[in-house]
Amino acid sequence: MLKFMSRLALILGLAGSLAACGVNNVPTYEEQARAAWSEVQNQYQRRNDLIPNLVETVKGFAAQERDVLTSVVEARAKATQVQINVDQLTDPEALKRFQEAQQQLSGALGRLLAVSENYPDLKSNQNFLTLQSQLEGTENRIAVARRDYIDAVRVYNTELRTIPGRWIAAFLYPEAQPMATFTVAEEVTRNPQVKFN
Amino acid sequence: MRLAAAIAALWLACAGVAQAAEPDFPPLTGRVVDAANLLDAADEAAIEARLRAHEDKTSTQFVVVTLPSLEGYDIADYGVRLGRHWGIGQKGVNNGALLIVAPNDRAVRIEVGYGLEGTLTDALTSVIINGAILPRFRNGDFPGGIRAGVDDVLTVLDGNGEELRQRAVAMSAPDQDDWIAFAFVALILGLWVLILVTNFRRHGWKGLLAGGGGSSRSSRGWSSGSSGGFRGGGGFSGGGGSFGGGGSSGRW
Repeated sequence: MLKFMSRLALILGLAGSLAACGVNNVPTYEEQARAAWSEVQNQYQRRNDLIPNLVETVKGFAAQERDVLTSVVEARAKATQVQINVDQLTDPEALKRFQEAQQQLSGALGRLLAVSENYPDLKSNQNFLTLQSQLEGTENRIAVARRDYIDAVRVYNTELRTIPGRWIAAFLYPEAQPMATFTVAEEVTRNPQVKFN
Repeated sequence: MRLAAAIAALWLACAGVAQAAEPDFPPLTGRVVDAANLLDAADEAAIEARLRAHEDKTSTQFVVVTLPSLEGYDIADYGVRLGRHWGIGQKGVNNGALLIVAPNDRAVRIEVGYGLEGTLTDALTSVIINGAILPRFRNGDFPGGIRAGVDDVLTVLDGNGEELRQRAVAMSAPDQDDWIAFAFVALILGLWVLILVTNFRRHGWKGLLAGGGGSSRSSRGWSSGSSGGFRGGGGFSGGGGSFGGGGSSGRW
């Protein structure tokens, strides 16, 4: 009995110390990166949800800007189609497609906001102002979510590529793959800034 | 010995993974951090008292900060980083908010923590900034603008009783992770004591000395279990809340 007990204590102690030295890091970081990705997708979705309202509001004052309005609607439709589920995150091509679709939408939105500068009635419309501030907040959240995702992926990939994480992964999590991330250049040419005044 | 040195070097390499560059944040000295010296002592004390009263009532942390420089960062970017760095808002509830004024960059922002985004929406913060703050700032009345902004934010935060109630519920729920860690540590400690006692019975004091293997680890578990402490006696510190870019900015 005593022998059993001390052995059990030893095993538990060893398991505890293994956990402390990072045997769980790979799945933990992977989950964190996936959660960060969901947040990115959430925030882009939130932007998508704002757009129909924005388009309607602008239409009410500037229906003649048909080209710009259509390009926004089309870019939104396309961006809605390109979704990535968490299992595709290891595929850089999928991420690139997602990013391109969203960037096209950012460009179209930027043009829409630029032309709305020409319509004083629109600019002072309360509904438009509200939408504008929501859009600005969403662009902000997208930037934050993207940065968090980049950080989480950096931590996860570093764990996979460095020792001892590399050994642990080869041993216990052979299916773990490095994840794709946003390229830094895209961060610099960031979404259009919505400015007041 | 050489092996030990090699392992130590690896450890150091692990610990030294480069962190992303952060701006040079001012220290969190209270609920009003007037690094740009826009407020006189009386204003500062009055605002501080209101913010403290509000936190005592609702646990929401709202901090006013003035900055001499944004160090080249966009104010929105700076705001999120500062909020996370200070950990404004309670841990898990993320009910923190910042009013950031950067007079030399001519920028102002209300940064809203995750947990307050539903109450203090982007649209409302934009209304507060454009309606209450910017007109006064444009006339050079910084204390007045800050006071008006604080008034409005607190009004919005007070306006929603249902949310306050939900937050109180969330605050009182025990943290599950802590319980698991606690149970684990208690189990190990219990086994250890059991072995000690049996050894002592069998072999006397000698057995007690020999039987204490594997205990150094378990004592370490205590420190990691006790996260999320905040507010000491009279000082003020962030509760560990997080930010996700909510709120809005204005320029003048």
